[in-house]
Amino acid sequence: MRRVAIVGAGMTPFGEHFDLGIKDLLPMAVTEMAASVDKGFDRDDVDGVWFGELTTTDGFPSGIVADSCGLLDVPVTHIENACATGQDTLRNAVLGVASGYVDVALVIGADKVRETSARSTFWDWMAMTRDMAWDYPLGLVAPANFALHVSRYLHEAPATREHLAMIAVKNHHHGVSNPKAQLRQEITVQQVLEAPIVVEPFGLFDCTPQSDGAAALLVVGEDVADRYTDRPVWVRGFGLGLDRVMHQHKRDMTTFPPTVKAAKAAYAMAGVGPADIDVAEVHDCFTGVELISYEDLGFAERFRGHELVERHDTTVGGRIPVNPSGGLKAKGHPPGATGIAQCVELFEQLRGESTNQVDGARVALAHNIGGPTAVSGVTVLAAERG
Amino acid sequence: MSAVAAIGTYLPPWADGGDRVGGPDEDAVTMAVEAGSRAVGTVDRVVLVTRELPLLEGGNGAVVLAGLSLPDSVPVVEQVGGGPAVLDAIATSSPGTLVLAADAQGAGAVLIGPGDGIEPVGRVLRSLPVRVRTADGRQYEDDDPRLVRERGMRPGLARVLGDHKPFAVAGVSRRDTSALCAGDPPVLPTAGASSAVFALAALADERAAGVVAAVEQATVSALYADTGSAVVSRHEPRPRSLPSRRPSPGPDIKLSFAAYERAFDAKVRWQAGRCPSCGTLAMPPRHRCLGCGEEGSATLVALPRTGIVYTTTTIRVGVPGIPTPYSLAIVELDDVDVRVLVTVTDAEPGAVAIGNRGRLVLRRVATRTGVPDYGFAFSPEVAA
Repeated sequence: MRRVAIVGAGMTPFGEHFDLGIKDLLPMAVTEMAASVDKGFDRDDVDGVWFGELTTTDGFPSGIVADSCGLLDVPVTHIENACATGQDTLRNAVLGVASGYVDVALVIGADKVRETSARSTFWDWMAMTRDMAWDYPLGLVAPANFALHVSRYLHEAPATREHLAMIAVKNHHHGVSNPKAQLRQEITVQQVLEAPIVVEPFGLFDCTPQSDGAAALLVVGEDVADRYTDRPVWVRGFGLGLDRVMHQHKRDMTTFPPTVKAAKAAYAMAGVGPADIDVAEVHDCFTGVELISYEDLGFAERFRGHELVERHDTTVGGRIPVNPSGGLKAKGHPPGATGIAQCVELFEQLRGESTNQVDGARVALAHNIGGPTAVSGVTVLAAERG
Repeated sequence: MSAVAAIGTYLPPWADGGDRVGGPDEDAVTMAVEAGSRAVGTVDRVVLVTRELPLLEGGNGAVVLAGLSLPDSVPVVEQVGGGPAVLDAIATSSPGTLVLAADAQGAGAVLIGPGDGIEPVGRVLRSLPVRVRTADGRQYEDDDPRLVRERGMRPGLARVLGDHKPFAVAGVSRRDTSALCAGDPPVLPTAGASSAVFALAALADERAAGVVAAVEQATVSALYADTGSAVVSRHEPRPRSLPSRRPSPGPDIKLSFAAYERAFDAKVRWQAGRCPSCGTLAMPPRHRCLGCGEEGSATLVALPRTGIVYTTTTIRVGVPGIPTPYSLAIVELDDVDVRVLVTVTDAEPGAVAIGNRGRLVLRRVATRTGVPDYGFAFSPEVAA
């Protein structure tokens, strides 16, 4: 299969866009992406579209992309894979390009979470991920899925709620410089620890906000990349991992096996290991999820993720900066857009253009987990073609 | 010819302003099952007496049988009534009948066995409807306790008992009890249907024979019982203050009746699917075996009802349709390789920790678009 490059990347700001519908956000993201293409981009070049979205707010997803973005003459594929939708949408587009089926693919992800009232959103979104008889009616709300993992993790590992708070503080700090981020204020460990508890052990500042937004990538075959830029970012590896859906069937809740599986596949395809990663965007829907993911991605040994936090290894300037964009925590989390937006940040990092630049970043990793905790997507990007 | 073979009692662990109350996940059916599971023996008929039937259109009986692990072919009489109706049911039922009595404060169960220990004494049904609940659910209450005492209770008891002073009178105030009964009558924890069983349990505690009466407004019934051979099992924890929970506005949790029906036996009978090839248990049951991949041949087997908390969380944020806070736990069941995700009951939210032991008990684990959704919940030992 031929090599595949990202030659353009852009996104809308993430936030509560009460004034914008999904049909507004999608074309805005495409335009933002087009502006990043060094040698210009004509949308007639697009041979196919892959669209990641969890829930539709205004009807038929693929049709809305084609219609709202002026892409009526190419196939549009809708991808939904829980919170791993972003990485999986990119994976499917890359396969389309690598196989030669298309030369130029538009990858776009979006969700409009704040379209219905926060209250009805609650159960509408929960119904997507839970068994109607066995765990949905018990009130297993989204944060509780992750809290069951993190409670057990904190029981077995030396990490404490303070370490979770330090991750929130770091990601808020990172988000301040990101003009697209939803929450752009510094917070303190004390503020995190004193905030109202949402779902134990998560306080308000341990949780991602509810967000609307869209993000887009232009993904092309190696033989056409130089039409668009002399500085492409290469998709070097990807993986998608799954696990039992019900928590009662997961043997060890201190780890996310989908991440381990996805990372293993992505590293093998890219020919790199965790030590080679210069910067990563990691799924931090809740602070504890970022902490556990350090271990699942191989950045830290089992039950030693908190040491990275204590040493500030994952802060920009540290050994392996994580979530320089602010992460889901500060940048926001419109699920279909989240993974694509991670790659927007890494595209900029690998070209030396981020507003929160990691010096000398050459190899980067993006990670999503969802379902909740039953699917993970990992993508390895690099400045070199490899 | 019948006798009292076994008596089970159940009181919820909560009080609200001094009155014993069921928890937010309890109702007459779950409390009746709690009491009934303590009156152990062979059962071929169930009579449930209560004025608090959760489902007036039906469905209570199936939950009672499932919760008690009785076959779904056992007849269940759902009877609207109070203490006098409970004594009537005990006096007139044949051996093998399990009489369940439930009200808002607790429940009792009497298993009728062979013998000659039960004799009806008498009953009188008169009308003094000072408390009214109409078919549309509206309630009216007349606050005139002296009228009820002078024109309801006293003449009724006189008609049934004459000058005889009974061992206990259920459904009346403590002060009235002392005046009406011989000796030092038992203090009964409830006043509704279950109070008649608590009165019999008090008699059985003394392994005695005597007359027990029950009063409800102006209706009175009494029976003579020799409880010398009755086995009594009580669950009557010291009441704690009912934790406050906050409702949040918003839509109810949706219900799929197809999914409800498919899950019912496993969920309410507390049974797992067992693979005939490799023996692996699956909870909930599933088409494809978790162990060996065998498909479509699992059979339901009973699960243990004790276990230890593997992980837990407490939801404190407002949740539409479920008052908060509430706790969830994943529990490792004893002696089997099965974990279950369950709500936590009988405990203050957040009180359960990893490693706590407890029992799995039938509760109304959710109410969805008005439909009670029964299943098993974790009741920690620490709370008892």
